[in-house]
Amino acid sequence: MKINVVESVLKANDAVAAENRRRLSAAGVLAVNVMSAPGSGKTLLLERTIPRLAPERCAVLVGDLQTTRDAERLGSATPLVTQINTGTGCHLTAPQVTAGLDSLALDGVRYLFIENVGNMVCPAGFDLGEHRRVVLVSVTEGDDKVAKYPTLFQVADAILLTKVDLLGVLDGYRRERVYEDISRINSRAPVFEVAARTGQGLDPWLAWLQAQRSA
Amino acid sequence: MHEFTLATALVDQLLRIAAEHRATGVTSVEVRCGVLQQVEPESLRFAFEALVRETVAHGAELRIVPEPVAAHCRACGREFAPGIDDYACPSCGRADAEVTAGRDVVLQSVGLVTAGETAA
Repeated sequence: MKINVVESVLKANDAVAAENRRRLSAAGVLAVNVMSAPGSGKTLLLERTIPRLAPERCAVLVGDLQTTRDAERLGSATPLVTQINTGTGCHLTAPQVTAGLDSLALDGVRYLFIENVGNMVCPAGFDLGEHRRVVLVSVTEGDDKVAKYPTLFQVADAILLTKVDLLGVLDGYRRERVYEDISRINSRAPVFEVAARTGQGLDPWLAWLQAQRSA
Repeated sequence: MHEFTLATALVDQLLRIAAEHRATGVTSVEVRCGVLQQVEPESLRFAFEALVRETVAHGAELRIVPEPVAAHCRACGREFAPGIDDYACPSCGRADAEVTAGRDVVLQSVGLVTAGETAA
């Protein structure tokens, strides 16, 4: 007996994601899913972003396979941090975010950053219930990553080119190549060049985040 | 390896359907995979086979059918088929594409063996 099902395999995840989004919207929280390769500077960006937005208004869920190191680092920026250890999981899923939300007091919180597991493939396919998706790519990763991982950049609402303070020591890095690739994959997302270490370029990124709350 | 997440959800769905129909076996499973899910078919198959072992779906044939990407240009409204690394609209040139197909993974159909039937 053949049965036509036609039902999304992602349905269970997507239903939980929709509920997360509803819950966050009702609480007046803008949720931002932060994605990139490992080592692109997601944690440092958040460490420098949160104090500028007011720490009591920010919460973070941070996903890693192992350790609580990111949560410890972020703990100096805001007390509202929950580490999610995925074990072998190479991306966060909506139910993990639900569990994370249950552990946070969201009263007064206006921004929730969900720092995804460092990975340029798997996180792109899973809705977590976020309102915006931002993708980081550091200049030290080379100028070919946008072209190599187009699916991740295509879903981005904003792209951050990070560690730009190191451009001077990267011989052969062609910034125009990155912009050329972005123009073919996602010309809607604004691109912010930042160096979290020095604070360079953070203002336009913060202004964009603030604008998303009223959008 | 998000294939394991997908396979887990797929097998949950499959076993639920098999139980609803009181199936004694599963002969085939067809899954449409949007190419943007970047599913590696062999990884999905490997995970699927590991997960159905010792269930009613053991030995089921998994068919994976790729679903191409389709998009709608937010700038000019044109519907088009982007390349996986090129979302520029063929009419206006902007890469402001809303993906309308190619992102989902869908359980299309299942072949069940029910009481009174024998496996084909």
